[in-house]
Amino acid sequence: MTDRPAEAVIVDRGYRHFEGIRKGRRGAIGAVVRDGLRRVLGLRRKGRRKILPWSLITMALISVAVLSALHYAANRVGVTDLVADELPHHREYFEFISRVALLFIALATPELLVPDREQGVLAVYLSRPLRTIDYLAAKATALGILILGFFLIPQTIFHLLLGLFSPDGFTTYMLDHIDVLWQVPATSLIYFVGYASIALIIATLIPRVGFAAGIFLGVMIMFNALSGFFVEFADFAGSEYGALLAFESHPHLIRDWIFGASTSGYPMTRAGFEPWVALVTIVAIAAVAVGMAWNRYRRLS
Amino acid sequence: MRHHGTASRASFSRVTSLISTRNLTHSYGDIKALDGVTLEVPRGKIGLVGANGAGKTTLIRNLLGMLRPAAGHMEVLGMPVSRESLDIRSLVGYMPEGNCLPLDQTAADFVGYAAELAGLPTDAARRRSSEILFLVGLHEERFRYLGDFSTGMFQRVKLAQAIVHDPEVAFLDEPASGLDPEGREHMLDLIRRLGDFGISVVFSSHILSDIEETCDWVVMLDGGRVIRSGPIGDLGIAESLTVEVLGDPEPAARWMTERGATVTFAGATLDVRTAGEDVFTLVRDALVATNLGVRRLSQRAVTLEEAFIREAQEEEGHD
Repeated sequence: MTDRPAEAVIVDRGYRHFEGIRKGRRGAIGAVVRDGLRRVLGLRRKGRRKILPWSLITMALISVAVLSALHYAANRVGVTDLVADELPHHREYFEFISRVALLFIALATPELLVPDREQGVLAVYLSRPLRTIDYLAAKATALGILILGFFLIPQTIFHLLLGLFSPDGFTTYMLDHIDVLWQVPATSLIYFVGYASIALIIATLIPRVGFAAGIFLGVMIMFNALSGFFVEFADFAGSEYGALLAFESHPHLIRDWIFGASTSGYPMTRAGFEPWVALVTIVAIAAVAVGMAWNRYRRLS
Repeated sequence: MRHHGTASRASFSRVTSLISTRNLTHSYGDIKALDGVTLEVPRGKIGLVGANGAGKTTLIRNLLGMLRPAAGHMEVLGMPVSRESLDIRSLVGYMPEGNCLPLDQTAADFVGYAAELAGLPTDAARRRSSEILFLVGLHEERFRYLGDFSTGMFQRVKLAQAIVHDPEVAFLDEPASGLDPEGREHMLDLIRRLGDFGISVVFSSHILSDIEETCDWVVMLDGGRVIRSGPIGDLGIAESLTVEVLGDPEPAARWMTERGATVTFAGATLDVRTAGEDVFTLVRDALVATNLGVRRLSQRAVTLEEAFIREAQEEEGHD
């Protein structure tokens, strides 16, 4: 004879108080940064939200793989002149990846800011131990991680692969190209600040993610064309200042300045400005963007 | 004793005053949303009643430090809002009246994120998210996207995000708004249960019966002013009697009116209300004095709605 099994008991889990550590403001800021990364990359979202960001990331990585393969092949057949002079290096890779990054920034910046505002989620943020400035700083940090990562990760892979494929050996290649270690991060930062500032201004004002992305791309293209018109065709006094509107090309100009390449051909240089004027313009736009975002969110909160 | 991670927070359950304000004033341009609000509210389930535009949401947002008052002093859980709003926000939850949910996230992810925003570590936040969604009856639906939720489920997720970090007090702004009767009853039941868990509730509503069913203290706001703040039992409920008499009720009505009661009558039915005096004794004495018989006598609870209207009229009378 067996014992009767114990009768099943329904246990009410009830309510349990949280007894652990609370990280306060620091924890809240970290949470906003992590959520920003997930949001832009479509993580923990429906599948279709992942398509665009991951397509752009894949495009960036595939382009690095193709470029590296070209370098590898050229080194294998011994056409070192071709490798040195004709095949794209870091500066030229920026030329390509900055176009892809423009799309990525058009996607990421409104995605980080607009839904919180339009779906009322700001009320939840601002009832937590988080100030408006913390919220904006956390969003900017998330955007910075994403955009700088978008530039730096492929460039780092590219640099390492170029070192590995170099006939001079990895160490020699690295020592010969030590300047890349500051040129690439500095250029990435310029692209990030130059493009994301404009995107931030638009995302602060426009209530729909798609519209904001479209307007951003439209502004970058139209204003570049407009600046070209001012420089080439307008002949009234002060028309050369129209070159300042070439928001899309300012980072390219500074990139060439950083890499020591020719800076002629850009609206700014055609209008007679030195490259540092483009740098000042980028910094000024960034200041305006921060001021506008702060003012808008201060009022919203 | 509930602990909030740091020694300074450990003693909040002993703080008896939930909200304290002095001459709190807030304006939107020329419109005074709060006009010299002075309150002393204990822990418990607090009803914040008033018509739309009475200042309920403005008061809550001031108490959370989300709005800055034009003048006055506020304390929540004994902490001054002007200096310690971030500490206060770690200890309170807020359920806004309007939409506050991202439609592209699952309930579990968003509620977990809300817990992280209150400073909980990621693992604890996920665990709490699951527990609280179970508590509000959304355990089965926790991995569904919020965009697929009904209004009732939306409201429950909003409540879940407000309590997921185990706050000392939850500010609920019109939590039953837009719900069908069944959903409303469920929401009110959840709010009642929060009190059992040791979470104080400040529950704003313009539906007075919801407050009456749920709260033990009521703050009445009208035009940005406090017209009454006190235990809900002190609002004159049970001070009213309805008496149907045999004969002409007018002499009895006059007799009671002369002694300070408020009496209305229609046909042979008198409605008698007293201010503090025992209404049964007064009616008995009136009937004896006027030699009237009783056909029917019933105690009638004064609803919160009637109390609110009475207080508002008295306030207007003072002005």
